[in-house]
Amino acid sequence: MTHKSLLTTDARTKRRNASEARFKAYGLGAIVVAMLALAVLLTSVIGTGASAFKQTYATVSIPLPEAKLDKSGVRDLDVMKKVTTIGYASILQAGMVAAVEGAGLQTDMKAKDIGKMLSKEASATVRNYVLANPEVVGTEVTFDLLINGRIDGYFKGRVTMESAALDSNTSPEELKLAQQLADAGIVQTKFNWAFLTAPDASDQRPEAAGLGVAILGSLYMMIVVLVLALPIGVAASIYLEEFAPKNRWTDVIEVNISNLAAVPSIVYGILGLAIFINFMELNQSSPLVGGLVLTLMTLPTIIISTRASLKSIPPSIRDAALGVGASKMQSVFHHVLPLAAPGILTGTIIGLAQALGETAPLLLIGMVAFVREYPAAYTPDAGLFGEASTALPVQVFNWTQRADPGFVERASGAIITLLIFLLIMNAIAIFLRRKFERRW
Amino acid sequence: MKDTNMQNPKISAKGVQVYYGDNQAIKDVNVEIADKTVTAFIGPSGCGKSTFLRCLNRMNDTIDICRVTGEILIDGEDIYDAKVDPVQLRAKVGMVFQKPNPFPKSIYDNVAYGPKIHGLARNKAELDEIVEKSLRKAALWNEAKDRLDKPGTGLSGGQQQRLCIARAIATAPEILLMDEPCSALDPIATAQVEELIDELRQSYSVVIVTHSMQQAARVSQKTAFFHLGSLVEYDDTDKIFTNPQDPRTESYISGRIG
Repeated sequence: MTHKSLLTTDARTKRRNASEARFKAYGLGAIVVAMLALAVLLTSVIGTGASAFKQTYATVSIPLPEAKLDKSGVRDLDVMKKVTTIGYASILQAGMVAAVEGAGLQTDMKAKDIGKMLSKEASATVRNYVLANPEVVGTEVTFDLLINGRIDGYFKGRVTMESAALDSNTSPEELKLAQQLADAGIVQTKFNWAFLTAPDASDQRPEAAGLGVAILGSLYMMIVVLVLALPIGVAASIYLEEFAPKNRWTDVIEVNISNLAAVPSIVYGILGLAIFINFMELNQSSPLVGGLVLTLMTLPTIIISTRASLKSIPPSIRDAALGVGASKMQSVFHHVLPLAAPGILTGTIIGLAQALGETAPLLLIGMVAFVREYPAAYTPDAGLFGEASTALPVQVFNWTQRADPGFVERASGAIITLLIFLLIMNAIAIFLRRKFERRW
Repeated sequence: MKDTNMQNPKISAKGVQVYYGDNQAIKDVNVEIADKTVTAFIGPSGCGKSTFLRCLNRMNDTIDICRVTGEILIDGEDIYDAKVDPVQLRAKVGMVFQKPNPFPKSIYDNVAYGPKIHGLARNKAELDEIVEKSLRKAALWNEAKDRLDKPGTGLSGGQQQRLCIARAIATAPEILLMDEPCSALDPIATAQVEELIDELRQSYSVVIVTHSMQQAARVSQKTAFFHLGSLVEYDDTDKIFTNPQDPRTESYISGRIG
């Protein structure tokens, strides 16, 4: 037998080491690609969307002449309502012109065009304020009014003098005047709370569009999903895992639950349309139907993760409980379930997060509608969560369909909002797991 | 086989057969186990001694494919009768498992769990008393009294097993089944548990399954030798180890099979 030195590596060992090094390099490469993709995604979304959280306003003092706004002279609301937003637009125009003159600015622009620097939403803002506070008629009130989307885009860097020259909706003169107004402190860019609270707005006024209705709709749906999917899913899993006999039928059920988790979500939308809207005649576009559809979609996820966490509890704990004379149910509820709780909670929150980001089934049940009214949680007519609403991911889808470039920014802003909600939910999942995790 | 009939046996098994699906694990076992005695089941791995032990408190019920026929009487009552609730049975027949399996709860809660679910204590003071008595009987009180609210899983292996014994006796059982209770313990912990088993004999009928023939010789008064699912020989421990009747028993205790 020949003597081999340990100080020299033989060919076989070299090959093994080389293949191990190669494998490590592949793994590292995969992670680098994934991180790059994530970085590109976040940069692009935040790059276009972050500006949605800022908005340009003009602080203008608007005179509210009684002659125009209240022909009755006695603040009769029915008479005052006859003045439409078009009537208010002329008052706003006068206010803007006065503001420009008051700041001592020179411009070649016509008064009509100066008035158009304000958003179309601005006259509605003033009208609503006046109708809510009729006593202000005849005085002068200072408002923070939305500036139109093009000028807002100019302050955010989206619109330039060159692009404005080619754009029929704005002009370089307008932008120049806007810049002067900004220098005079009349036009300011502020944090955009309205983006999170205001409802959607029509195609011509991206500057007014907000996520208020969508966030409310998503919240209602999450409540429905949580209230239905968690108890049903956990009860089903406990029964299947702990009580059901192991036979052909339970095998079939088990395989089908796994398959359901892989069914494309749009199929659940068709199912929801057929059952909840056509057959049960629930309100379409309502968070109730959306929540029911998402419940169906989330159930397999919750059942699978709950069963996995029940399975991971060592059988010795069940034996111990049964051995001292606990019933099957006591052994499950006193010992197995508390130990499985962190896993169940994590699975549920991941299921909810998945449901929160789901778009396709909601399109089919009509949640893609344009909704400006905040849905009430309960009304006698529509029932619980029965009023039409949209949802966050659908709002993203909706805004990406619109023509005005202002909506690109809004859509990215909505994606950021959605991602923040998902991050919060995942953080809660991690927190709960840490808090309830126990060793045995 | 020697006639082992005795006066008023605590447990009496007649013609017990156990099947796992199509496999027969226990073949026609007849045995009578006395009260206030330690009875050891010995035999090679897979001989069915643990399976038979688990029949005595119907722990085999939890295995779907397991089927038991024959008759097992405790105090003259058939425990496989349809009217018997296994939950009540298991309160009367306590069990200690091979691996220490305390609940991931405090030492106090581990012991108090059984009495709580069976309603053995009317108030906190009574429960405290049961816990103390059980821990004292299990020779764990002195080590555990200052850390009753600490998790039972934080104890050493031997202490955990004594905690499991305390948990089993807290429900005031009449019979204590032990399935290789020392197999996961070191020699010192084993000695402590064996000493404890000897003391428990004063109050309970103890049935212990063990791989160690020395242990059977040390702690038991009666020994049953199982082989391939049959009860080969059952007699006083001294007799089994000094003068076995069956050649298979002799081969096993002298180390030729098993």
